[in-house]
Amino acid sequence: MGNKVVTFTEQQLEDYQDCTFFTRKEILRVFKRFRDVNPELIPKSMTENQAHTIILPVEEIEKLPDLKENPFKRRICQVFSHDGSGNLTFEDFLDMMSVFSEAAPRDIKAWYAFRIYDLDDDKYIGREDLLEATKLLTAGQLHEDEREEIVTSVLDEADVDGDGKLSFMDFEHVVARAPDFVSTFHIRV
Amino acid sequence: MEDQVEDIELRPATVRRNLTIKNNVARQVAINFMPSRQAPYNTLRLRRVNSENNALLDAVASDTPDAANKQADIIVREMELHTHLMQNDPVSEELRREALRDLPQGLTMKRNVRAKLSASVSLHSKRRPISVLKRFQYRLSFAWKRTRERFRDLIFSIQLWYEPIRIIEGHLGTAVGSYFHLLRWLFSLNLLLSGLVVCFLVVPQVLHDHNNSTTTDLGWLDIISGKGGLEDSLLFYGHYHDGVINGSLPLSYNMPFAYFFTMFCIYVGFFLVFCYRTAYSYRRNFIETSGGLSNVFANKVFCGWDFGIVSAHAASLNAASLFNEFKELLSEKYKVKVKRSLCMKIFEYTVNTIVWVTVLGSMMALHYGVWALRAMTTRTTNWNLLVSLILTSVLAVCPLLFNFLVRLEFYRPRTSFYVTLARTWLLDITTLSLIFYYWAKSSTKCWETVLGQEAYRLVLLDSVVSLLLLPAVEFVRILIFKLNPKGTGPEFNIAYNSLTLIYNQALLWLGLLFSPLLAVAVTIKFFLLFYIKRVSVLRACRPARKVWRAAQTQTVLYMFVTLSLFTTLFGIGVLFLASTSDACGPFRQYVPVIAVIGEGVLGLSTHQTLNAIITFIIRPGVIGFLFVALCVSVYYMRAKSIAQRSMVDLLRQMLVLQAKDKDFLLTAIAKVSNGEWLYSPKPEENADSHTWRYLHEVRKPSNAGYHFDGSRLSHAFDRSDKPVRPRSERPQSVRTDGDTDSSFSWQGSSNYLNDLENRRMI
Repeated sequence: MGNKVVTFTEQQLEDYQDCTFFTRKEILRVFKRFRDVNPELIPKSMTENQAHTIILPVEEIEKLPDLKENPFKRRICQVFSHDGSGNLTFEDFLDMMSVFSEAAPRDIKAWYAFRIYDLDDDKYIGREDLLEATKLLTAGQLHEDEREEIVTSVLDEADVDGDGKLSFMDFEHVVARAPDFVSTFHIRV
Repeated sequence: MEDQVEDIELRPATVRRNLTIKNNVARQVAINFMPSRQAPYNTLRLRRVNSENNALLDAVASDTPDAANKQADIIVREMELHTHLMQNDPVSEELRREALRDLPQGLTMKRNVRAKLSASVSLHSKRRPISVLKRFQYRLSFAWKRTRERFRDLIFSIQLWYEPIRIIEGHLGTAVGSYFHLLRWLFSLNLLLSGLVVCFLVVPQVLHDHNNSTTTDLGWLDIISGKGGLEDSLLFYGHYHDGVINGSLPLSYNMPFAYFFTMFCIYVGFFLVFCYRTAYSYRRNFIETSGGLSNVFANKVFCGWDFGIVSAHAASLNAASLFNEFKELLSEKYKVKVKRSLCMKIFEYTVNTIVWVTVLGSMMALHYGVWALRAMTTRTTNWNLLVSLILTSVLAVCPLLFNFLVRLEFYRPRTSFYVTLARTWLLDITTLSLIFYYWAKSSTKCWETVLGQEAYRLVLLDSVVSLLLLPAVEFVRILIFKLNPKGTGPEFNIAYNSLTLIYNQALLWLGLLFSPLLAVAVTIKFFLLFYIKRVSVLRACRPARKVWRAAQTQTVLYMFVTLSLFTTLFGIGVLFLASTSDACGPFRQYVPVIAVIGEGVLGLSTHQTLNAIITFIIRPGVIGFLFVALCVSVYYMRAKSIAQRSMVDLLRQMLVLQAKDKDFLLTAIAKVSNGEWLYSPKPEENADSHTWRYLHEVRKPSNAGYHFDGSRLSHAFDRSDKPVRPRSERPQSVRTDGDTDSSFSWQGSSNYLNDLENRRMI
């Protein structure tokens, strides 16, 4: 009888399997990635309520290789954290990886993508959000007026009700017709 | 106002969401809790429900200690409204699970909800006696679901090469990753194939050989060309016993039956798998996203960044490529579209036709040349080997020529890519069919073994090319690039490499029947190919600067693989239906080979009724009837999908009209609160009123059956004295939806109405 450390209880694993799009092995793999960020802070066993109490600060999460090069990493962490600050518990992290996984359906991805692109969190993707997004996407290489042009074109194409900003409906409309959305909005765990 | 809670049909429980048609209840629940779903498009009742729910959720202050609890209670209360979710059987359980997964809340909240939900369900469940049949059905579906889940877990735990592919994707993007996915998928299929072949064919034959052993000697060239000592070995068809094998135990193993059935199951089974995969991929990438070409800018902004990128270099490359693409799009927007005159069009079509004719003609010339070369009597002993070498080199070089040729033609970039793919694939398939046909019609004794040898030689030579030559070329190119950095380095040519894979697979299908161990050879080759390609990709290639819709390319490649298999199956079927194979191999006794089923297995000559039934089924009339029925059902489904698509268009038009209504109402509110009167239905009294003009010039024509007339839009009003807005000067960019899109460029109509009115009043 060795000293086998049980990471999660059976009940927890079943819960996670039901609420996310992962299998057991994938959940354990996600836990391993989470723990690798800061092995001292995260214990090996999460059988009590450590899964939703122990918090990793956002600066350390951003050092994860999956997020390091992403221009929206700060906003991603904010969207998935329980309090909006960017600090993630393990369950937030699992949620995030589940949404980015291959098995998550298009509409869930669209919902979270909308929240990520809504940088000022006003439930709409407005002009400033789009301007900031284009700046981040091209690493600041475009000129101010070029970005203005792009944003105007995006609003022309996607804004159905003409209020100058994109609601979730407009966004989902665009994204549902884009064949590459599901494959680009995907992080392999 | 009709009840928004829709009736769901209880569907059998399936595990993965992708396989169920949308779970309406789950979606309903999820929709109700998305706070940013704005109300304008909902009916009054749903809006009230939404705002109630959201108000309730927001009202629970998030810093009270049991705020999460209260929010979970609200959600559970909402879910309890749907009776279908709350029952205590596996189907409801599955629905609940889907509803939970789709809930856009955090994981902690979801766990809370789940716990409360199960408590509520067990509290409220009325134990209805279920009939034995239903219980049996439930138990069956439950057990099936469990096995599928366990199977998937098993497959996942032995995922080969997971980490390497992840690293490659991180460095080079998902498009290159898709090539490696294809390679891995084909490799695992071939592994399965070789497992089957070895178990069912090779092992019994080895046992048989053990009893009467012969010695052979092999020379070097023999191994490559498959002749000599290898000719009568396990490798080839001719060696296999055609009778019953008796082992040391009193068991007998009927080799012809085993051979036939293994091959049949392999071919047909894999064909079905491929068909399913292609259809699934096609549905996901083409059908679900149809009509989506007009949102170029929005697509670039929202789907342009590859979230799987891990290395800094790839990230900067992605940023650079997005920058280039934005610049290109901006410049295209302002380019004056040159109207191609009729002369130009004719010229372009002629050039395209000429190039096609050239390509097809050169293909035929090539085939003729190969045939002639083969037919020449052997001058050297290794003539066959030489011909195979020539063939392989031609097949390796032609795609590059096609790449060059397609630039002479006038196609859009996406179309030219597809055209090159199609031509290369056509070349490969026709060459293989030619070889097949040649050897089948030749009068060599035991032509099957010769065909097997040919396939074996081709596989071997192609592995020399792709495992040794190509990486060497890439390394040389990267060295040259490093010494003389001009432009970009060598890019990984996804199309060319994927087509090589497809060619190999087609070769395998062709040769499998005649050389069973070829499966093992190709499996080993793919295994080595993975590692070699991985090294060459990571060290020697840069990520492609422009990625052409990787998802749709994947579908096209799957389709090619399926078509190759189909062609091979067709060829072999036709051949074996008619002719005999009496010189060698396991089917020597059966006069048309297909009689192995008839006489051998079913013993038709003894069972008269079975004979009669089968003869009836195989009659052309019956088969023709089935074929016609298939065509009719395909046509029906296509008509249904066209109808659905036009319904979607109609609903979209309605959506836009609602937006205009919203606009109008908002302005009307502003006006009335300013003390102005708006509504006057009689034209003579107040012909200029805001309402009248809106109703009669914008809304009325469109109300008539939703045939929206574009000339009635705001830009039909007099705008001569309006300041020029940059948006209005935008030229008509190419829209694939016809003229509906241009009619719906509603650019703040109420603003126009306001400005015109103000100007007239003054």
